Amino acid sequence: MSELILGSRMMQLIIALILVSTFLILGSTRLYSCVRAFGIQSFLLACVAGIVAFSTGKFDIYIVALLTLVIKAALIPYIFIYIIREIKVKREVELYVSVPSSIMIGGVLVVISYYLIRSINIMSELSSLSLSASMSLVSIGLFIMISRKKAIMQMLGILIMENGLFLGAISLTYGMPLLVELGIFFDVLIGVLIMGILVFRINRTFESIDTDMLKTLIG
Amino acid sequence: MLTQIMLAIFQILIIIALAPLLSGIIKKVKAFFQIRKGPSIFQPYYDIAKLLRKDSVVSENVSWIFYASPLVSFAAILTAGLLIPIFISDIPFGFAGDLIAVVYLFALARFFTALASLDAGSSFGGMGGSREMFVASLVEPAMMLSIFAVAVYAGSTNLGSISQTVSNLGIDAMSPSYLLAFVAFFIIAIAETGRIPVDNPATHLELTMIHEAMILEYSGKQLAIVELAAMMKLLLVFSLLASIFFPWGMDAAGIPAALGIYLIKIAILGVAMAVVETSTAKWRLFRLPELMSISLMLSFLALISFIIVKGG
Repeated sequence: MSELILGSRMMQLIIALILVSTFLILGSTRLYSCVRAFGIQSFLLACVAGIVAFSTGKFDIYIVALLTLVIKAALIPYIFIYIIREIKVKREVELYVSVPSSIMIGGVLVVISYYLIRSINIMSELSSLSLSASMSLVSIGLFIMISRKKAIMQMLGILIMENGLFLGAISLTYGMPLLVELGIFFDVLIGVLIMGILVFRINRTFESIDTDMLKTLIG
Repeated sequence: MLTQIMLAIFQILIIIALAPLLSGIIKKVKAFFQIRKGPSIFQPYYDIAKLLRKDSVVSENVSWIFYASPLVSFAAILTAGLLIPIFISDIPFGFAGDLIAVVYLFALARFFTALASLDAGSSFGGMGGSREMFVASLVEPAMMLSIFAVAVYAGSTNLGSISQTVSNLGIDAMSPSYLLAFVAFFIIAIAETGRIPVDNPATHLELTMIHEAMILEYSGKQLAIVELAAMMKLLLVFSLLASIFFPWGMDAAGIPAALGIYLIKIAILGVAMAVVETSTAKWRLFRLPELMSISLMLSFLALISFIIVKGG
C-alpha cells in the first residue's frame, strides 16, 4: 500500500511537470524549443505510464510506456525536426495572440478545466488532478491550434490534445487493452506522417506554411 | 535573551562574510564552463577591500539622496537578512516581520538605488533606473504569488514557521503545488538578483546593462557598499530559496552542523545558477514580460493545484 501512495505522489509531481512543459510550449517563440518541450512532455507521459505499470503490475502497460517513449518522445520530435529542416522554414512561431497573453489564457483554461472537473463527483486527489490536467492539455492544445499561424504548430497542437487524452485514459482506467493502445499509437504515427506530407505540399504550393495564406486563391 | 541577540549578530556576520564568497564561486564555475581559469573565488573580497581604501568621486550636482542611497539599501537588505531563516529556522527576529516585509525591504533597497541613479542626472543612470523599475514591476507580483503558494501550503506567512512546517513534513512536502512554486521562484530569483537571461552582472555595455547602469556614478567606498549590498541580496535570495523549498537539515544538532548544511545548499544553488547563466543568452528587454508571465502563471497554477488536491 505504501508503494501505491509513493507512486501516487510521484505521479502528482510528474503531472505538475507535464503542465509546466505545456506552458513551455505556450511560452516559447522558437519552433525547435516547442518541439523539445513536446518531447519532454511525452517523456513525462511515458514516466506516468511506467508508474502505473509498476503499481498495477500489468505487463502490457510496460509495453505502452515503452511505445510512448519510442514513438512520442523520440520518433515524432525527430519527424518534426526533419520537416523544419527540410522546408527551411523561419524558426519563429508566428502568433495571433502575444506570448504573455497566451500564457494568461492558458492559465484561465486550466482554471476552467479544474472547475469543470470539480463538478464531477470523483473524490481521489490523484484522479481529480490527473483528469483536470488532461482536460487542460486538451483545451490548451486546441488553443495552440487556433492561435498559431504555422501549420507545424497545428500539428503540435493536435498532438498535445492527444497527449492529454492519453494522460486521462492511463491515469483513470490504468490503461486500455493493449490492442486499442497499439491502434492509437499507429494512428498517431500515421497521422503525423500524413500531416508532414501535407505540410510539404502546402509549402510547395504556397511557398510558406503560414495557414493565413491558405485563404488566397492560387490559379 | 542574550543568546538570541548573539545569534542575530552571528547571522548578520555570516551574511556579510559569505556574500562575496558566493559571487566568487559563481564566477569561478562560469569561468570553468567557458574553459577559462577565472579569478580566485576570493577575488570579490579583494575587490571590496581595494574599493574601501579608495576615495569616492562625487558629482557636485547631487543631493543627499546620492549619499544616503547606498546606506539605505545596505541597511534594508541586512534587515531583510534578519527576517530570513539562514541556517536555523528558529530565527531570533522572527516576530518582527514575515515574508511580505522581506519582499518590501528588497523593494525599498531597489527604490533608493533607482532614485540615486536619477540623482546624478547622467543619461545611463536614468536608463538603468527605468529598466530596473520595469523589471521590478513584473517581478514583484510573481514573487509575492509564488511565496504565497508556499505560505498557503504551510499555513503561515512567517518564514521561520514555513520552513519548520516544510521540514517536518519531510518527503510528504513534495506536492505539485510545491514543485510549481519552486520553478516559479527560481525564475524570480534570477530576475531579482539580475542574473543572465534578465541582466548581465558582468557587462558594462551601455545597451544591455540594468543594475550596472544604475550604479555607474558610484566610486570608492560608496561603490564598495553598493557592491556588497548586491552580493548580500544574491545570498539572501538563495537563502530564501533554500529555507523555503529545501529546509531539511536546518534543525540539525548544533549550529556548526546546520551551518555546514547551509553552506552545501548555497554552493549547490550557486552552481545551478552558474549553469543556467552559461547555458542561456541574455534576453531582449522587451521579451522579459514573457519570462515573468510564465513565472506568474506557474505560481498561480501552484495555488490552484493546492486547492484542487485539498479539494477546497
